[in-house]
Amino acid sequence: MVIIKRKQLTWMEKAYLPEVIRGLRITLGKMFQKPSTRQYPEDPLITTEVTRGQPRLVVNEDSTIRCVSCGLCEIACPAYAITIDGQETDRMIEREPEKFEIDFLRCILCGFCEEACPKEAIMMSDELELADTSRQGLIYGLDKLKRPVSALKKRIAYINKINDRWRTSSST
Amino acid sequence: MTVLLATILKVVVIFGALISAAGISTLAERRVSAWIQHRIGPNRVGPFGVLQPLADGIKFIFKEEFVPEGANRWLFILAPALSAAAALMSVAVIPFGGLITEIDGTPILMSIADLDIGALWVVAIGGLGIYGVILGGWASNSKYSLFGGLRATAQMISYELSMILCILAVVAMSDTLNLREIVNLQDSADSRCFGFLPGWNIFYQPLAFVLFVICTFAETNRHPFDFAECESELVGGFHTEYSSMKFALFFIGEYCAMIVMSCMTVTLFLGGFSVPYWSEAPFLIGLASFLLKVTFFMFLFLWVRWSLPRFRYDQLMNLGWKVFLPLALVNILLTGLAVSL
Repeated sequence: MVIIKRKQLTWMEKAYLPEVIRGLRITLGKMFQKPSTRQYPEDPLITTEVTRGQPRLVVNEDSTIRCVSCGLCEIACPAYAITIDGQETDRMIEREPEKFEIDFLRCILCGFCEEACPKEAIMMSDELELADTSRQGLIYGLDKLKRPVSALKKRIAYINKINDRWRTSSST
Repeated sequence: MTVLLATILKVVVIFGALISAAGISTLAERRVSAWIQHRIGPNRVGPFGVLQPLADGIKFIFKEEFVPEGANRWLFILAPALSAAAALMSVAVIPFGGLITEIDGTPILMSIADLDIGALWVVAIGGLGIYGVILGGWASNSKYSLFGGLRATAQMISYELSMILCILAVVAMSDTLNLREIVNLQDSADSRCFGFLPGWNIFYQPLAFVLFVICTFAETNRHPFDFAECESELVGGFHTEYSSMKFALFFIGEYCAMIVMSCMTVTLFLGGFSVPYWSEAPFLIGLASFLLKVTFFMFLFLWVRWSLPRFRYDQLMNLGWKVFLPLALVNILLTGLAVSL
């Protein structure tokens, strides 16, 4: 059994009115503080390199795509959101995607594609807004997925840092 | 003829202003509650959200008019109208300002009717307003509504007593029931309190003032005494079953009653439309001074609502009968002694 010892109220507290005035003073003070509401469309969300937004394809400075259409992300994707058709190219890497589609109606933004990619070619960007009036419009092709490497620089550096931690601490 | 025309104009302007003020109060309620809770509140409809009441009104009109099965249809429809009408009627005797102008030697004063029984009128018609709440609760055929209505009845009876005793103290001092006379008496130079404070009744009747303000909270069913509504216990109390414009009418009634009670507090205790130390203040300045004081009390209504939790029902009854009534009686006894001496 627990006996709760209640605080004995003083005469002033029992009179109630002084305490009411104290409460009113507190709420009045709150009125002049800055509201914590964010006016979303005008005042967008703050994103960092840790933000795991929608996946995007990295385009090099010489405007060639990094992806070699190996299909690892396609296999890693738990939601079957990625579809890749590869083709040959004259560049050193020999292969590049002919078609690269991410169905954002299926994508769960888990980031497994980013982890699976051996070429740092698909990266989770800080783009979070996703809305369309048709289903077809939410299946993004190559044209909508490409982003210059400068836009994803911070995220690439962050992922490298994370991966370094595992590389250096591995004992085998 | 022109006098009649002026009276009609006054009626239209004052009722229009009152209903608009009730609309603005609903917006103010939401904005103030938001500020107190670190939010922003509705600010999208029009500049600073000033058109929000209009949008709400349009929405209310387009909602379904629903009468629950087994409800007393006639009373169910009558109740919100009664609630709003009583609140609107009681504003008729409030003196908003002094002399506007003179037409053919007839002074046109800024109040709809300058009754000799003004204070009595407000109490009587304000008392009618509670019928709207009770009938609404009764006619809805719902246990929550009935409970809300019954609680409102008990609450009104217990607090109206103390409120009327507070008014009576002022009336005994002023020796008149005419609200304009009460204001003029507070304005006159020889009624100065201690010779320098304005002759407002708040300085002569501080206890009656505090009791009256708290009783107005109970009278208008506002927090912390909103037992007729009681969202957390009774869903919505007397207006649980109401929808559409009928629901809106209840709200117009509630906010109008709040405004009228603020007007009464200002008129009885804070010198109404008079400006301290400036007895010859022009009409517009007097009106502005009145509206400023009323705005403060309206703000107090909102401020208290978002600061205090609701009382328990037995606490409310204890407070009403065991604290307020004896205090009001002692106050009127002392006032009577002081007046007769």
